[in-house]
Amino acid sequence: MKGFHGCYWRFDLGLGRGERIPIDDSVLERTLGGVGLGAWLLHREAPIGVDPLAPEAPLIFSFSPLVGTPLTTSAKFAVVAKSPLTGGISDALSSSHFAIAGKRLGVDAIVLVGACAEPSELVDGSLRPSTNWGRSAEETAKSLAAFGRVAAIGVAGENQVRFAGISADGRHAGRGGLGAVMGSKRLKAIAIRGDVETAVYDPARVDRLARALRERAASESTAKYRELGTVGNLLSFDRLGVLPTRNFQQSHFDRAEELSAERFHETRAHQRTSCASCTIGCEHRFAYGTSTSTRAASSSASSQDASPTAANAPAPTRVEYESLFALGPLCGIGDPDVVLAASRRCDELGIDTISAGATLAFAMECRARGLLTDGPRFDDPDSFLGWLDDIGHRRGLGDRLAEGSLRLARSVGGASIDFAPQVKGLELPGYEPRSLQTMALGFAVGVRGADHNRSGAYEADFSDEVDRFHGDAHSSRFAVESEDRAALLDSLILCKFVRGALEDLYADSAALLHAVTGHPFDGDDLRRIAASIVDLRKAYNIREGWQPALDTLPARFLDEPLETGPARGARLPRERLEAMIARYNVLRGWSREGWIPVSRLEGLFEDLDLRDDWFARVSVPGRDASKLGMKVDGRVREASDR
Amino acid sequence: MGRPKAWLPWFGRSMVEHVVDCLLPVVDDVVVVTSDEVSLPPLPARIVHDRDPGLGPLAGIRQGLEAARGDRAFVTSVDAPHLTKDHVRALLDVGGAAAPFVDDHVQVLSAIYPCAAWKQAEALLAEGVRRPLRLLESLGYEAVESARMRDPGAWEGFNTPGEYLEAVRRVEPDAVAHVEFLGRAARKIDTQRVDVPVGTLGEVLARVSGTSFLMESNRVSKGYLVSIGGRELVRDLEIPIGPGEAVSVIDALAGG
Repeated sequence: MKGFHGCYWRFDLGLGRGERIPIDDSVLERTLGGVGLGAWLLHREAPIGVDPLAPEAPLIFSFSPLVGTPLTTSAKFAVVAKSPLTGGISDALSSSHFAIAGKRLGVDAIVLVGACAEPSELVDGSLRPSTNWGRSAEETAKSLAAFGRVAAIGVAGENQVRFAGISADGRHAGRGGLGAVMGSKRLKAIAIRGDVETAVYDPARVDRLARALRERAASESTAKYRELGTVGNLLSFDRLGVLPTRNFQQSHFDRAEELSAERFHETRAHQRTSCASCTIGCEHRFAYGTSTSTRAASSSASSQDASPTAANAPAPTRVEYESLFALGPLCGIGDPDVVLAASRRCDELGIDTISAGATLAFAMECRARGLLTDGPRFDDPDSFLGWLDDIGHRRGLGDRLAEGSLRLARSVGGASIDFAPQVKGLELPGYEPRSLQTMALGFAVGVRGADHNRSGAYEADFSDEVDRFHGDAHSSRFAVESEDRAALLDSLILCKFVRGALEDLYADSAALLHAVTGHPFDGDDLRRIAASIVDLRKAYNIREGWQPALDTLPARFLDEPLETGPARGARLPRERLEAMIARYNVLRGWSREGWIPVSRLEGLFEDLDLRDDWFARVSVPGRDASKLGMKVDGRVREASDR
Repeated sequence: MGRPKAWLPWFGRSMVEHVVDCLLPVVDDVVVVTSDEVSLPPLPARIVHDRDPGLGPLAGIRQGLEAARGDRAFVTSVDAPHLTKDHVRALLDVGGAAAPFVDDHVQVLSAIYPCAAWKQAEALLAEGVRRPLRLLESLGYEAVESARMRDPGAWEGFNTPGEYLEAVRRVEPDAVAHVEFLGRAARKIDTQRVDVPVGTLGEVLARVSGTSFLMESNRVSKGYLVSIGGRELVRDLEIPIGPGEAVSVIDALAGG
């Protein structure tokens, strides 16, 4: 099949050598690439029950058939591993030339296993001692630029901060702690280059489709991202009462206007840039660095970068809504210079801004309630950047913060778990669940945890199609459809910002795939494949110990109504969420509790050698194998669909 | 109406808050009957959920009477902008079941019912009866002529945007709404905030120059969405915008 190379490069960091392992066309047809192929490889390569930070745990860079074509936004790759934050699958995307370079190696994925004996870099297919240990990913990439395109970790990844990310071209595979996995392997960076062309089935047709997509993507459908960027969300979210503030105690922020895109564009020097192979250009960079707070915060921090001062202002920094909300309102920080500096500091350290901000916000509430005697405080910009540094370097309390909000709650004890802002260990992004109840469902059932990337269920809430204050059966349907669309886009891989430029996501995507691969995909095929990829990802979590009780939200969201602001009175009763979840599971073809029937599982594992291992794993004592429809006593039972 | 009546603004409060505030000084206990579908603001009242919202107002009355404490209850719908405590007192003074009788119509949703009548209501519902008037008739209610009422019009409700806006203008002819343009809309018209007279959403937007790009026939244009009071997200240009209401025009593509 064209568009693929039909193999992956498996490199053992302990042995210092790699091999190419073939992948059947049938697997590529069913998983496509990106998160789909990555999930399949994770099933195959990860020992069952492996510690995510153990040498045996694989770290997967998964490419896709569209990489290297002229299709706009297609230069993306997925990084997939067992998450040290959640214990389930984590698959984060990044946009960069690294994807193109990886494909030019002549492989569809890179799988790293084992661990280096010392801090190392994988350059031109060989390991060498790292000369960049202790430096930022950006600095590391610059030092290795002569060897190709680079994916690297920052100091936080080296220190195995559980929400450290992996950076490439300044973009981050941020969520779920994939940088900690790379750090646990003592691998600072991987630099790749190649010259293998990927054969395309119908180049002329690909060119025509690419031209048409570029034109549509330059239309109104992406205008918001081009003109304002995702930071344009902040003020609207404030007005709608969905802007998480002070660890989700409120849903609006009295200093929102100071942090708004509208204000930024009026008052700050600004640049707009694009990811590799992207014609949209959603990346907005803003100048910062002249406030008293920023200087104070920086002077107390130990970052090796120069402190931003009026005389020596740093370059404009990229900022997205998620970073803005998490490092701003969520922590009660309204000083835009501090928030922009904090976003930049997270990038330098190599940590996920959402988890960093949310974990700090949680600690702030713990301190306000007297559950922590020391620690960060709300509305305290002066110490804020210092806390980020402490996390990245695991200094003092930062060592506990680096574990994420769930583990911190367990160590703090008391009722703190009720307001730890996480699902399955992954911190919530910037959407208040009580006033966005379709998204609340998406968070609760998210395979990665609280996730706005693999579920865009908020789209239904931000429409006149559902009552966002009262989730119901429609919410369940929207949540399923949204996850399926994301599974397809994240496997192709195309940026979600082109979603509005595709008239029919499935049919249009089938046309693209057909032109690239020659395989006669149609829209219905892709609908089935998308749902199957969702199954595959969920099946990994089941294998690693998922239980239905994990599909929920923290008690705060189920027991406390919002008391102020536009969403005052909004409440999400537990029974309502449970009803939505049950409905969602049934719509997925799973049992009401969320177990996958064996009839669906068998298809998933058709090409995997490990089916028996998998079945053995889920039928160990303490698990109700009959619910799973797993092989019990040598027989496969059908799951009961209650 | 295109919007939940309970949340329509009434001079600084929502309609349901206005009605509850009117009742609190003259009754011992306020019960709000609502369906599961409608969320409400925090209220100094007991909230009960209508078990059978599909059966109409008689089922709601049954539910409210069953929950109420005391001998008699004043029953009103939530769309009662001109309700006064004098009106409630006047009806209570009649004794027994009582309802205004105006222009040959019995105002069954601005009336006094014995609390114990929830059983009769239940029996009527079981017979397939849906009209509250049958309950009043079975109770031997007293029809109170408008001439005997202290506040003519106190029972008047509204069922269309025009009726609601007329009620607003009767109280405050110069009532205004606050319109805020965010994101791309603000950049296109170079305006962020403006106050305009109340009206339908289409009328309100049209009063700001340069906003025609926001409207396509009777809907808000595809790339935009309107938030009202930070709660409702709407596209229908025919819905009413009330006094003091905050209208935000936002980008439709919210989210990351």
